[in-house]
Amino acid sequence: MGQAQASAQTKITQPEAILNVDHLTKKFGDLLVLNDISFDVKKGEFLCIVGPTGCGKTTFLNSLTRLYKADDGKILFEGEEIDPQKHDLAYIFQEYSTMEWLNVEENIRFGLKVKGYPKELQNERVEKVIKMVGLDAYRKYYPRQLSASMLQRVVIARGFAVEPKLLLMDEPYGQLDLQLKYKLEDELLNLWQETGTTVIFITHNIEEAVYLSDRILVLTNKPTKVKKEMINNLPRPRKISSDDFINLRNEVTELIKWW
Amino acid sequence: MSKQQVRDKVSTILFAMLSVCLLLLVWQLAVSGTTLGKMFPKPIPVFQKFVESLTVPIGQYTLVQHAVFSLYRVFVGFVSGAVVGVILGIAMGRIPVIDAIVKPIFNLIRPIPGVAWIPMAILWFGIGETTKYFIIFMGGFANVLLNTYAGARDVDKQLIGAAQMLGANRRQIFVHIVLPASVPYIFAGLQVSLSTSWMAVLAAEMVCAQEGVGYLITGGMNSGNTTQILVGMLAIGLIGLILATLMRYAEKRLCSWKIRGN
Repeated sequence: MGQAQASAQTKITQPEAILNVDHLTKKFGDLLVLNDISFDVKKGEFLCIVGPTGCGKTTFLNSLTRLYKADDGKILFEGEEIDPQKHDLAYIFQEYSTMEWLNVEENIRFGLKVKGYPKELQNERVEKVIKMVGLDAYRKYYPRQLSASMLQRVVIARGFAVEPKLLLMDEPYGQLDLQLKYKLEDELLNLWQETGTTVIFITHNIEEAVYLSDRILVLTNKPTKVKKEMINNLPRPRKISSDDFINLRNEVTELIKWW
Repeated sequence: MSKQQVRDKVSTILFAMLSVCLLLLVWQLAVSGTTLGKMFPKPIPVFQKFVESLTVPIGQYTLVQHAVFSLYRVFVGFVSGAVVGVILGIAMGRIPVIDAIVKPIFNLIRPIPGVAWIPMAILWFGIGETTKYFIIFMGGFANVLLNTYAGARDVDKQLIGAAQMLGANRRQIFVHIVLPASVPYIFAGLQVSLSTSWMAVLAAEMVCAQEGVGYLITGGMNSGNTTQILVGMLAIGLIGLILATLMRYAEKRLCSWKIRGN
């Protein structure tokens, strides 16, 4: 019965979708990692993806952005094959991907520079995000001189600076201290509401998913499928201590238990 | 500079001076009134001869001119080796087909020291300058290639991914990610290559030259002039030291992001 239910869930269609993922399949050798995943993301939606540890969440995002070549399936962004050179995307990895040879300011400017934006616009965006992540005083520092949480803030700022149409985040706050995590979660929500960007946010932290998302996709263990889609329309700003919040959190937690 | 740093610097210099003085003292004692003294000159005559030969020629040229000959040969051989090494290293590191084709040949050639090419080089190019450039090239380029290759191959995939996601095209990824990420490796290669080039020029000059610091020491051997040999060796050591220091300085300037501490 459970099997039948899961396959009934494989196609989740949304009106006015900005992103269509259609039968995405990825194998590493014989190991089937992503098993025919299909879903749509609405323009301006905040989608969280949760799943058990090692269920292939990162592979999923890497295939989605074509960092990995998918074995099967189509990914359409605004109706076209997704292409980072054409579409404004930003991908914030779990590991800190700062460029060691660039200082904080130059790192944040990177995306704006490769896109060839005019200098004034670059400056304006850099100033805005560098203050947002609290690295104003460290603009001339090199990554080597910064702590882990500061490095991740540089990467986040670099992603935010391009004001992407689609922002992909892979457990971006996993290694930050709690206070900063809360601050950056709220900053992310502000940015999202301000710019109307679409966000796909991968996390293993269910509270985080419930706090941030419009919708949660729960993934199964490998080979990964979409197990369940949960609509999250709790009113914002959300209170993590409210009853509704706790109920939804428990419901999602129940779904990803693999024991 | 803080007080502590000044103190550290002063003590480093003091200890360096102390160790040089100790060496001179041991040298002086070892050759005074012993049989060793009959085949080994005292330090003071060596230094006198060293200073004297800055202006008075040994053979056809002064010491400075000999050094310029050697340095020019190193310059030509080293620079051509560096250019080939960097280009080929990056090509091998980034383009699998080139890697697959060049690596087997390179692995075969690499263990052959530059000096082993001397006989072949003389038969090919005669005893002119080309032979010396060739020997230095063969002695130096492998180190640059190996290091550049390692650097270009091991560029963090995630960094490339991050740049790609921000819209960078292949050229931008190469210029803004692959190249800067490889620079520290290239420098490590250049540093080793420069010192092996300096060794190779001496070997080349000892075999086939009428000028250069390598000629000085073989010339000294042929005429039984131990002072001249030591003057030559002293010059070789000093120039090698200066080259290594210049190289480190250049690296510090170009890779400041790697070294600059808090």
